[in-house]
Amino acid sequence: MYLLSDEQIDFILNDIRARGVETESLQQDLLDHVCCIVEQELEENGDFEQFYHTVIRRFYRRELREIEEERALLLTFKNYYAMRKVMIVSGLLTAVTLMVAAVFKIMHWPGAAILLVLGIVQVSLIFLPLLLIFKLREVSAARDKAIFALGTIAGSAYFLSMLFKIMHWPGANIMWVCTLLFSFFVFLPLYFFTGIRKEETRMNTLVSTILLLSVIGTQFALTRIHPPGLEQKNVVVTTVTQPSN
Amino acid sequence: MSFSSELIKGTLKTIVLKLLKDNKKMYGYEITQKVRELTSEKIQLTEGALYPTLHALEAEGLLRTEVEYQGKRMRKYYSLSPSGVRKSQERISELTDFINTLSFLLDLKTGHA
Repeated sequence: MYLLSDEQIDFILNDIRARGVETESLQQDLLDHVCCIVEQELEENGDFEQFYHTVIRRFYRRELREIEEERALLLTFKNYYAMRKVMIVSGLLTAVTLMVAAVFKIMHWPGAAILLVLGIVQVSLIFLPLLLIFKLREVSAARDKAIFALGTIAGSAYFLSMLFKIMHWPGANIMWVCTLLFSFFVFLPLYFFTGIRKEETRMNTLVSTILLLSVIGTQFALTRIHPPGLEQKNVVVTTVTQPSN
Repeated sequence: MSFSSELIKGTLKTIVLKLLKDNKKMYGYEITQKVRELTSEKIQLTEGALYPTLHALEAEGLLRTEVEYQGKRMRKYYSLSPSGVRKSQERISELTDFINTLSFLLDLKTGHA
């Protein structure tokens, strides 16, 4: 049986840290484990360093920090059900809040604005990002991940610019136009050309693309973009009509 | 011959829970040695699979840890929490049922005889 000195224990701990294991409790677990192996398997006058390197090699496939990554993966999975619950509840709440907000807005009742803000913030900053996290777990190809990420950005931007527009907040127009341009020139082509290539997603992609195109087209048609001259005319009209109010 | 890591992965939590149920408290190296010994080296747990699982079980509240200092280094002993005791029984019954179903499924001759 080999007896480890304090320096050798420090050496092992430093090496484990240097190899990218950052969680302290995992460092301590691995340190004790390596020490046990060395003490059990190395002969009294054996070569410590050489033996240590063969032992540590048995712990991983590519590098030691795999253990840290695997640990992080298992720990995040622990929150899977809680996250899924939050996503479903926030989705339902959003739907209810937005419907109530719409009724309030039509009836000109007080509180419509705050409900709208709440609903849209909820859908674009809680529901959609959580949905993205789940979707990212389901696919492995980088291209699919990118499509989901871009889709989420487009969706969140769509809701937020709608909010800005309804609330007459500054920057609404530019946000709106940017969202439509982004959806049309970045998200849609990537989505279409990826989905159309695979036999099993072809039909779905075609239908969704047509629907998305018509939504973007209609929204763009409804967007009032005025040439500079026309806008000036509007200003004049408003100033003229104001005194009569 | 030892089993592939894919086969062990799905049953690792149950193996750990069962061992801790029988042995009260154990540290990581001890768990790997015990499994080797009990299975005549057919199941060899890797450190890369064992510690993430132990930490996940601890985060789920099924395991408790206590630390003992061994000179300059510390040794973490894992043991079952009260909910871990309940869970270990559940997992063992589930796995037993699964093994029976699987042996029936794969050994159709005996199943239909």
